[in-house]
Amino acid sequence: MLVVYASRHDATAQALVARWAEHDAALLTAADLSVAGWRYHLDSPDDSTAIVSGRRVEARRISGVLIRWPFVHERELSHIIPEDRAYVASEMFAFLLGWLTQLKCPVLNRPTPTNLLGPSWRHEQWIHTAAKLGIRVRPARRHVRMHAPHTPDEQSQMSSASQTTVIVVGDESFGANNPLLDAYARRLARAAGVGLLAVYFDGDGADAALTGANLWPELVDDEVIDAVLAHLLRPSHAESSGGR
Amino acid sequence: MILLWGIAQEYPLAAVREALLRLGAKVAFLDQRAVLETEITLSFAETIGGKLRVGADELALEDVRAVYLRPNEWRSLPAVKQAGEGSPKWNHALGVEDAMVSWADTTSALVVNRPHLMAANASKPFQAMQISAHGFSIPDTLLTTDSEAALEFWARHGQIIYKSISGARSIVARLTEEHRERLADLSWCPTQFQEYVPGRDYRVHVVGDEIFPCEIISVADDYRYAATKGIDTQMRACRLPDDCAARCISLTSALQLSFAGIDLRLRPDGRWYCFEVNTTPGFTYFQEVTGQRIDESVARLLISADA
Repeated sequence: MLVVYASRHDATAQALVARWAEHDAALLTAADLSVAGWRYHLDSPDDSTAIVSGRRVEARRISGVLIRWPFVHERELSHIIPEDRAYVASEMFAFLLGWLTQLKCPVLNRPTPTNLLGPSWRHEQWIHTAAKLGIRVRPARRHVRMHAPHTPDEQSQMSSASQTTVIVVGDESFGANNPLLDAYARRLARAAGVGLLAVYFDGDGADAALTGANLWPELVDDEVIDAVLAHLLRPSHAESSGGR
Repeated sequence: MILLWGIAQEYPLAAVREALLRLGAKVAFLDQRAVLETEITLSFAETIGGKLRVGADELALEDVRAVYLRPNEWRSLPAVKQAGEGSPKWNHALGVEDAMVSWADTTSALVVNRPHLMAANASKPFQAMQISAHGFSIPDTLLTTDSEAALEFWARHGQIIYKSISGARSIVARLTEEHRERLADLSWCPTQFQEYVPGRDYRVHVVGDEIFPCEIISVADDYRYAATKGIDTQMRACRLPDDCAARCISLTSALQLSFAGIDLRLRPDGRWYCFEVNTTPGFTYFQEVTGQRIDESVARLLISADA
């Protein structure tokens, strides 16, 4: 079984689940964490039982997990009384962090205590890490001041500055015309310990500068989606990227 | 230069600040209550630069060699809370918090402790895996939405406790017969149950390679809240067996923390259990009773990085 953890509003996740139906793919949402049947034994995680799309599933039957949602959002918990939503969201996040970390199957990406999608690096941290790896970067600057003029958020800064997006999936990468940019993107993903990453450059030549990275790439390209599937179906001992 | 960040009156931060001043260190203090007057400029490439300005005071972040962080929840700052979500003041406070965390997670200065590492104890099962990997026993643990599973676990262990999975509402309580009819409510949200481990509690503060163990004598399930139930608690400085002390230091180091508060329990059969590693220890509560100078140890650690 393949599991996609996502918001219930994530149309891409729903499309992936439909596309991967022959692999028994199913959507895991916050609502599944409010269903009787979860059993997670810390000392024997293989004997755990999960609830996925309302179905009871033994953890050892799960062959791969794609994570497409960084946390558990209160807005996904409309079935919980409003005054308890923040608490329940933090409990569910803490639960998922432990459970997903202990799964032995491939998980894209392995969660961290600050983000289920992987390391919760800010824009500046991606730029700094890339620069230290010898990758040409567009420096990141930030100015925070009361009543300062509005500056675009980092995502729109990256998008407006980007001409090339390279998506790394495990040991493969897609989207670059220049092998150097492929190599840079894979190097940054390895440094971050992730198997799924979008890396942005301001051009497509060897002199292009890295402008940012994103743990939550848009999965619409057939080649990329097939690579994600192949990664999730790999035997768990072959998980070379994205693991810890 | 040593930078402190938090609320000036908060006890641990105030204690470290006073210790630093007694030891003659150069200290800059970023008071969260001045968040609306705080201005930050950051520049990141291969090197990290920036400036911190509060009113007329300015600090070049390149000059900071050590940082002690104890920021409070920024949404609770009176000026921010009063302004409300989405207001310019709210957005500014969020921007200051985010910029400071980004800088603290990345700077080459000694940071006690880096924000992303402090987050590890926000998930007790996640941290328990790390604790177990470093030689301490951990209680048998079940996380479940299933009342039948909870009843089986209860029957197997005889006495069990429940506590939050995250750091929120983190109070330990024994499961009693009064809870039996409420177990159906487990289906709303996963709940953590653990075997009850009898024994004596210890709080161990680790600062670099220095260790400050404190023995706690209390019959409460959670000694931190014993007074609210009228239960007496006594605390005193103590020594740990060498191997246990070494494990505390190596666990702290493995978690990449410079300062930690470790909760241990010694079972009557001699096994040491570890329940949690607190990554932002409120040490003054223990220091006042034991006389251990944890504040000076933290100050010395910061000064050593600033030398």
